[in-house]
Amino acid sequence: MEVTDSLKLEIKNMIMTTLNITDATPDMIDNEEPLFSGKNAITLDSVDALEIIMAIQRTYGIRIADQAEARYSLRSINSMADFIVSEKNK
Amino acid sequence: MTTIPYKHQMAAHCESGTLTTMLNNNGLAITEPMLFGITNGIFFGYFHHSKSFAFPAFIVRSRPGEMRKITQKRLGVKFATATFRDPDKGMSALDRLLEMNIAVANQVDFFYMDYLPEWERVHINVHFMTVIGKEGDDYIVSDSYFPRLTHLHKDSLRKARFAGGNMSPKGFIFHPLYVPEEIHYETVIPKGIRKACYNMLKLPVPFIGVKGIRKFASRITEWPTLTRDTEHLSHEIMKINILLEDQGTGGAGFRYMYATFLQQAAEKLNRSEYHDFSKQMMEIGDNWRKFSLFAARIGKNRDLGPEKMKQLSEMLYELAGMEENFFKDLYQTV
Repeated sequence: MEVTDSLKLEIKNMIMTTLNITDATPDMIDNEEPLFSGKNAITLDSVDALEIIMAIQRTYGIRIADQAEARYSLRSINSMADFIVSEKNK
Repeated sequence: MTTIPYKHQMAAHCESGTLTTMLNNNGLAITEPMLFGITNGIFFGYFHHSKSFAFPAFIVRSRPGEMRKITQKRLGVKFATATFRDPDKGMSALDRLLEMNIAVANQVDFFYMDYLPEWERVHINVHFMTVIGKEGDDYIVSDSYFPRLTHLHKDSLRKARFAGGNMSPKGFIFHPLYVPEEIHYETVIPKGIRKACYNMLKLPVPFIGVKGIRKFASRITEWPTLTRDTEHLSHEIMKINILLEDQGTGGAGFRYMYATFLQQAAEKLNRSEYHDFSKQMMEIGDNWRKFSLFAARIGKNRDLGPEKMKQLSEMLYELAGMEENFFKDLYQTV
């Protein structure tokens, strides 16, 4: 598995569906800008983070066990894509 | 002053992570989950509304400092520890140790760790990190929540070490004086498991272990009567998620970390049944995570009617049953 633009789009769609976000579109979300900073098109909180952790488990079969891992892998779209690829390639 | 050579590592939890990295850097190979398991870090306690607790609280791991103390007792490590009333003396003591090329673990208020993003920082007086050097006005820090070695200004470190409030650090520092070369896993793993099972099943206190989870289940439906309004109740219910998942917990209230410990115990002791226990504990962790997410959702949406509180209670009763069966079976193995 490789990090591709289509994977990043898939992740954005997963986030929008999981969190029921209707006031933004995937192309508005910056891949590098942190999703918790308030500077991206969407801003997540810790409840959203847990929703996404569980969505990643359902979608990709990857269990994110600890918060240090979660904190860095969920930081941005790019870090999420890197994390999913590295876990799938293990 | 130079920086002490120190191999930095990230970790799930600050206390077990700081201890593990410190032991690794002093020649003892041990993983964070193994340290957590050997020091019987898994726990549960529910403290209902009382004179000591303005609002009910629960804990999912042993008290801060307990893992270090049990590391000494069980693994034979010797630590030097110190607290200070005077911040000047506390900072000077740290500098003296650094001059002697000793990396020093510090208890700090997490809020002042300026290298972390602002939105992650909250006031918690029991964060642990290691100072490994000084460059001008900055200390060089190894923090298990940060991906690499980083800098912290001396003023921030001083504020963090001498913050006031509940469980204030009082400049607490520690560093190892003696670290053994190896671990007798055949002895210490069963001891850690036995004590964890005892704490979860047999400790004769009605709010500790599985009894504590049941106490939580029975009392959570009373929470609405203890809060001022929906906003307050929502805040308290959402804190469940923070305590279980959001503050470096090792995942699902440390249950995932314990599952990893059991997996590693199976390898170390060549006992395949611990693989099955590990899988069971992962499933228990998944259920804690579901409970946490349910609490977070109803808190966030202010959907806190009696039916929802009852659902929370039922989920906890189910978790209590799962943990009771799990620890009873695990107890039989040691």
